[in-house]
Formats: sequence, C-alpha cells, structure tokens
Amino acid sequence: MIGVLKSELFKLRTTRATKIVAICAVALPAVIFGLTSLFAFTNGEVGDSLISMVGNFAPLTGLLLGVVGVLCSTQEYSQGTIRITLVATPNRLKVFVAKLLTTLVVSVASSMLMLLLCLVPAQLILSSRNVTFDLIGSDLRILFSVVILSAFLSILGLSLGLVFKSSPGAISALLLWPTILEGMVFGLLSLAFKDSNLFKFAPVQGNGFRLIAQYTDESNTWLVSLTYFSAFVAVFAVLGAVLFTRRDA
Amino acid sequence: MIVVENLTKTYGSKKAVDNLSFSVAPGRVTGFLGPNGSGKSTTMRCMLGLDKPDTGITTFDGRKYVDIESPLTFVGSLLDAGDAHKGRTARNHLRWIAMTNGISASRVDAVLQMVGMEDAARTRVGKFSLGMRQRLGLAVALLGDPKVVILDEPANGLDPEGIRWTREVMRHLADEGRSVLVSSHQLVELSLVADDLVVIGQGKLISSGPIAQFMTQHAKTWVRVVSPQFDALAELVIAQGGTVERTSEGGDFHAVSAVTVGDIAAANKIVLHELSPQTGSLEQAFLDATDASVEYRGQSTTTNVWDAPQP
Repeated sequence: MIGVLKSELFKLRTTRATKIVAICAVALPAVIFGLTSLFAFTNGEVGDSLISMVGNFAPLTGLLLGVVGVLCSTQEYSQGTIRITLVATPNRLKVFVAKLLTTLVVSVASSMLMLLLCLVPAQLILSSRNVTFDLIGSDLRILFSVVILSAFLSILGLSLGLVFKSSPGAISALLLWPTILEGMVFGLLSLAFKDSNLFKFAPVQGNGFRLIAQYTDESNTWLVSLTYFSAFVAVFAVLGAVLFTRRDA
Repeated sequence: MIVVENLTKTYGSKKAVDNLSFSVAPGRVTGFLGPNGSGKSTTMRCMLGLDKPDTGITTFDGRKYVDIESPLTFVGSLLDAGDAHKGRTARNHLRWIAMTNGISASRVDAVLQMVGMEDAARTRVGKFSLGMRQRLGLAVALLGDPKVVILDEPANGLDPEGIRWTREVMRHLADEGRSVLVSSHQLVELSLVADDLVVIGQGKLISSGPIAQFMTQHAKTWVRVVSPQFDALAELVIAQGGTVERTSEGGDFHAVSAVTVGDIAAANKIVLHELSPQTGSLEQAFLDATDASVEYRGQSTTTNVWDAPQP
C-alpha cells in the first residue's frame, strides 16, 4: 500500500497541470489577501473581517483543489496510464484508497499553506501599522472549515473524475453544480413549495460553503452542515469507487 | 505457464471473445495471431484483469493475476505504446510504475539502458517518436524482470534494427525459460521467432500448437518440377489425380507428393532438372486459416471503389 501511495503522490508531482492548478489554489488567495492587507485596514480592529475574508477564499481554493482531484483520476484515462496503473496494482480498491488519500493529503496541505500565506504576511503588515487582530473561537472554526471544505471538495472532484472519466465533464460538473445549477434547482424548488428555507438543503452552497459562514437562526448548525455536506460527498465517493472497481479499464 | 480457459467477453450484443482456451508454455515464444477485431487485445486485457470476462479464467503458474503479489515482478506486459503521460519524462514514467511494486530506481536505469534509451531518460514522452514509445513500453514490460511477458504488437513503429532487436529480446527471454506471448501482424517477423502459434478469428480459437503443426494443417504444399518433357509428365500426374499449374520454367503439381511425381518420372524415363517440394508462407497459411472469420476487409484495387468521387 505504501508503494502505491508513493506512486500516486509521485504521479501528481510529475504532472504539470496538477501542479499549476494546486499552485493557483494556494497563490491566488494569498496574493489577493496580501494586497488587501497592504491597502486596507489602515486603522482599527480587524479581527473578524480579516478571518471572514480568508474564509471567503475557501470556495475558490476548494474548487481549484477539487479540479486537482478531478485531474488525479481523469488524466489517467486521457493519457492511457490507467491500464498500467491497474496492471501494476490489480486490486482496484487499493488504487482508489491510494488516490483518495493522496488527494486528501494534497488538499489539506495546500489549504493549510494557503491559510499560512494569507495570514502571516497580513499579520506582519498589520502589526507594522499597529493594527491588531486576535484569533477568537469562531475564527478558529472558520480556519478549520477552510481545510475541511478543501478536503471534501477535492474528494468530490476525484469521485466525479472516476464517474465521468473525462476532465471536461467532471470539471464542468464540479464547477457548474455549486456555482449555477444548485442555486437554480433550489430556487425553483423554493418557488414550487413556496418555502424559502429549502435552500438549507442545498448540499454545497447551503451547507458546504456555509461551513465558513456566520450562522443565523434559519441556517443549519455547523455540525449539521458538515454532516449533510460530507454525506453528499460520500455518495459520490462510493459511486466513484463502485464504478472504478467494476468498469473495464 | 499461462493457461487461458473458456474465456468469453461480450460488449453489448457483440461477442469479442468466445469460449477461448489456450496455453503458453515456459521457454517458448507463442505468437498470437488473428485478423483486425478478432479479439486479441481484448483477450490480453481480460488475462491481465483490465477487462472483466463474462466467463473463464486465466492463471499464471496456477494463480490468478489479481492474486499475484507485486505482479510486475511476475508478469510484464506491453499493451499499448501510447500508455504514458506525455508530460512526464521517460525515467519518471518508469519510476512511478516501479514504486507500485517496490522495484528499485537502479532497475529503472538498467531497463532504460537495456532498451537503448538512457540518453532520452530525461526527455518528455510527448517528444518521442512511435518507435521510442514502443521501446519505453518494452522497458515497462521488462521492469520487474518477469517470468511471463505479454506483448501486443511490440514491433509497431520500430525501424528494422528495432524490429530485429525486439525479436532477439523475445528469443533471449524464452531461452531463459520465460513464457512469451506476443501478438503481431508482422507475420514474417513472427515466423522467425515464434515456436508456437495461437490463431483466433472472431473471438474463437482456430488453431493452437507448434508453428510446424499449423503450417502442416493450413499451409499449401505443392511440387515444383522443371523438365524438358514436362507435358508428358503432366499428363501422367493428372492421370494420378494431380493438378498442374504451368510456370515459365516448368510447372507446379498440386495434390500429389514429390515422391509420387519422382516415381512417375522414373518409371517413364522422364528427365527431371528440378523436383522440389514447396510450402506456402506463414502469411498465406494465416490468410487461408482466417479467411472465413475476417470481419473488416479492404476493397481490392481492381474494383471501382478507387474511382469514387473525390470529397
């Protein structure tokens, strides 16, 4: 298993597309956040707004790391290496678990690096101006949620890649569902059932992205959102695993 | 030893492989022949567990492929030279494969040298010619120093030196006691290296056994005769049930043996300048054996298809 894990990580490291997308997932928020810190918060307390801003980048980072997950599986099919992968490791479940763990490690490490690259320069810039911010309990929850969201979205990407077997299909599904389709579907359902609260059942926007938001009385609690979103991702992960282990390569 | 038993694979309503059974003995090169679409590649994929057969089983020294620990060290395969990420270097391509089966990095360098690609080790696969990719594919097959080697069209895209080298590699592997199964359309090449043949058509077994046995069963034989009294001899041979085909220097007798023709000539004091038994080529024998099961056939150049309107 260790060999398969090392191999999967090596495959990700030696593929230009995955490296570029992972770097974008980390660097884009860090650059924007650095510039914001440089030109904003010139005075006063900024604690809540600063962490909330980091949280706002979580969907971007998460979706980009989801694309890394997609590429982790679809590139094998587009380049034909899936045949060698499965000849080298005929136990397909082992390959699936190795891909899952690799994607998870990459997404957790990348999202933590993103947080580090956002917060450390910001702290330095702000402290040089005598602007202070302290981490409070809800801030820690948001930071933790950024990592959780990235991890789940990357698993979702990997699973969609295994279902679709092609990058365009899987990336379209990964990006279009949470950004456009989910809003439309739940918007129509809300109209049909005359219940605006239905949106809290939207798996990604209503729960996944909500992990990093402030909570109101009408929305699910953090734990409910996490459970609902992780169940949604788990369904696709199981579907991806079943198709991967049963389909002809 | 590879044993394939009752393998059947269906795609939709099409039976790609139909109750196929054969074996590949150690120490021998076994050629795997069949027309396009006959199910050779599907059979190989089923053997390696890439496609799931409807029925049947393949064993390697009595074990199923999926049950072999570090399978690359037991079975090496080349199914498609294009199975490599175009953005990775040749060395990195071999390294990730080696990692899965605990094969050392020094072995990676050794096989790169073996296939003559040490200078291209750090070149991206996307820049390789088909021949170089084929060599890289062979390096993958040899990576684990396997006891069994399965190669699908290994000489595709290789230059004459590369084809000869591939032939020598296969012979060398078999001489070391390994089982080698190789599919190829280059029948002349295959006839130079194969000990046994497995011939299939439309997924079904047509012939399996030593190449000499296949030739005896399917190759045409005739007797070539050059004689100043050919016409007289021809009349006598036809009377014995033979048929005659005239050539510029003499003729070919079919349906009679060289012994019979020689005896007739001796009994009738007919002078012979040449009396030689002839055997058709492996290519002709293959075409004759698989004629009934050819699925995709090109149009003859003598038909009107070549006069079809231009786009």
